[in-house]
Amino acid sequence: MAVVAAAAGWLLRLRAAGAEGHWRRFRGVGLARGFLHPSATVEDAAQRRQVAHFTFQPDPEPREYGQTQKMNLFQSVTSALDNSLAKDPTAVIFGEDVAFGGVFRCTVGLRDKYGKDRVFNTPLCEQGIVGFGIGIAVTGATAIAEIQFADYIFPAFDQIVNEAAKYRYRSGDLFNCGSLTIRSPWGCVGHGALYHSQSPEAFFAHCPGIKVVIPRSPFQAKGLLLSCIEDKNPCIFFEPKILYRAAAEQVPIEPYNIPLSQAEVIQEGSDVTLVAWGTQVHVIREVASMAKEKLGVSCEVIDLRTIIPWDVDTVCKSVIKTGRLLISHEAPLTGGFASEISSTVQMFNYAICCVELPLYGKPCSIL
Amino acid sequence: MTRAPEGDAEPRPRLPAVVTGHRRHPQHSMKKMLAVFISRVLRRVAQKSARRVLVASRNSSNDATFEIEKCDLHLLEEGPPVTTVLTRAEGLKYYRMMLTVRRMELKADQLYKQKFIRGFCHLCDGQEACCVGLEAGINPSDHLITSYRAHGMCYTRGLSVRSILTELTGRRGGCAKGKGGSMHMYTKNFYGGNGIVGAQGPLGAGIALACKYKGNNEICLTLYGDGAANQGQIAEAFNMAALWKLPCVFICENNLYAMGTSAERAAASTDYYKRGNFIPGLKVDGMDVLCVREATKFAADYCRSGKGPILMELQTYRYHGHSMSDPGVSYRTRDEIQEVRSKRDPIMILQDRMVNSKLATVEELKEIGTEVKKEIDDAAQFAISDPEPRLEELGHHIYSSDSSFEVRGANPWIKFKSVS
Repeated sequence: MAVVAAAAGWLLRLRAAGAEGHWRRFRGVGLARGFLHPSATVEDAAQRRQVAHFTFQPDPEPREYGQTQKMNLFQSVTSALDNSLAKDPTAVIFGEDVAFGGVFRCTVGLRDKYGKDRVFNTPLCEQGIVGFGIGIAVTGATAIAEIQFADYIFPAFDQIVNEAAKYRYRSGDLFNCGSLTIRSPWGCVGHGALYHSQSPEAFFAHCPGIKVVIPRSPFQAKGLLLSCIEDKNPCIFFEPKILYRAAAEQVPIEPYNIPLSQAEVIQEGSDVTLVAWGTQVHVIREVASMAKEKLGVSCEVIDLRTIIPWDVDTVCKSVIKTGRLLISHEAPLTGGFASEISSTVQMFNYAICCVELPLYGKPCSIL
Repeated sequence: MTRAPEGDAEPRPRLPAVVTGHRRHPQHSMKKMLAVFISRVLRRVAQKSARRVLVASRNSSNDATFEIEKCDLHLLEEGPPVTTVLTRAEGLKYYRMMLTVRRMELKADQLYKQKFIRGFCHLCDGQEACCVGLEAGINPSDHLITSYRAHGMCYTRGLSVRSILTELTGRRGGCAKGKGGSMHMYTKNFYGGNGIVGAQGPLGAGIALACKYKGNNEICLTLYGDGAANQGQIAEAFNMAALWKLPCVFICENNLYAMGTSAERAAASTDYYKRGNFIPGLKVDGMDVLCVREATKFAADYCRSGKGPILMELQTYRYHGHSMSDPGVSYRTRDEIQEVRSKRDPIMILQDRMVNSKLATVEELKEIGTEVKKEIDDAAQFAISDPEPRLEELGHHIYSSDSSFEVRGANPWIKFKSVS
């Protein structure tokens, strides 16, 4: 057990050190080198072209939902929106530049198919977009709002937290805006810098009354988005923008649902639980296979999928089995959602099994 | 003081009909003038250099008076004057500045395509008269804040081309030490450079409040675009500025398109100069540097006299797309861009005026062009050869602190030293 614990520790440290020579390059490895290996020159780090820091790993073709087609992430989103507009005559899509197809092509063809009354542009006003969406939803229509980048969602933060999240509660269930879904491109893309790369899920995690969902792949995205649209609570659906083109797999043409608030155990293991969401799931899967290959460590990989309300049971059960937890996310470390997961798991696991299986080392957050 | 002939006898053509919906008058004198210039130039080239100098001094004048377009007014009895005097020195300065901005933007375009500049890059070629005209109408001690299409203003506010291009390429010689990039360049009395649309509105009102509070007769120019005009915080800034009579000149740079959305499709009222509602407004021809200058002087005087904020709409145009990833032709025609370029180009307008009124010769202006080209080329060379910022600086300037402290990086074992 102690050996495995040490091995897991090495696993973490090796990941941080960013690999030597024959290991695959990670984005930021030059950075890690600069700090942990002072002998490496800064010029090397600067001039080396950083390749993408992950490889998208498609899931096997789903068989239970009928005919499938190869789609990338933005096409699967278009497909989900198409299904929604077809099924629900009250559904409308609006946001900045959605009419021509959107800056990430998520709404291509929908205006031609469903008309300008149902797919329309708004002016440049995020607070107005969400507020307006809440209004539509309160009357019973299905509102699918787009915020062009998650970085721009902050003017709408008041509307989401103070209006959308609390509508049902404050009216004693007389009114609600459950048919509101807000979609937004999320996460780092390599060249986005301050305002096209943010992952703000932690800000919204602090707010009961809304649901926050982040898919890892086209198949997951379509199912989760359809569930969000049909869910009777206001939902925020963050789409990892770096996966819009990079992720492609077989996705069913017909609508299907993936349940919210259910984490998925992608890979079973026995030594350590790795939790991630969005793009980071693919990084973690690579880590898991590297750990297996190099260290003989068996990792259980969990995709959280819904940030709030999150699937406490799946994660805690997994930690009871493995005894170790590692959470990895793109957002800043302090106050990031990993801190919520780690404190809940410690509380839960400590309470349940403090005698039989103490946790080795602290659960920790990476990246 | 000589009264020079008008720069153009026929009515100045407005922005393209396809955009404004107005009829335009075809202009034939442009070709005739061009022919005259060419023949003059050929004649002069044949002469010896000493005689050429004599010819230049005999043919140039010290200043000239021009008629400029009358501004539409909102809640104002009188507007800026309709004639203005341009001295030779001023003319040469504006010409050089506009040409520098134009060439700098084109160089940035080139560097972006060569992948020396990454990320986002929003170019303002076509809008040179706005930044140069605004600067000409205010003092260096006045303040200015704008959006992300800021490279021109960075230059006119005092940053060198070298520091701008080096910041674009993200090297340590850049004005923000390579950490800001295209949208975050700052200098004394210039507050950027803001990525979030409309966020600079309330900031500008705040700067104006500080000016009023300090009682130093300074004003703040707060710029935003036609897209940002629909943001809530701009309306909030208007209200605060008017309520407290802040010396704030709100300036809407209306280049007709917010990214790919034309103004008519996004705004219930495209009379942006009236959208201050209770704030008086002016509609200004943003392609004429003299018009912008006079309007800015008028607006600055208005604010300095304590009457409160004022709004200026600069009608202008950008040749490039919204950013380098936007070809700029999916929401407007190439014909439209070409028409503005050939009929309303701000540098061309100034050049014609100066040459026609003998404030400068074509050769002088060409020489300025050569000098500008050299300046830009040198700056670009520096920009691509300067090293990137040191990795040790990654964690700097997060907080202000007396002593250095540690910041966690991408994982708990990577720590950065933060100094500020």
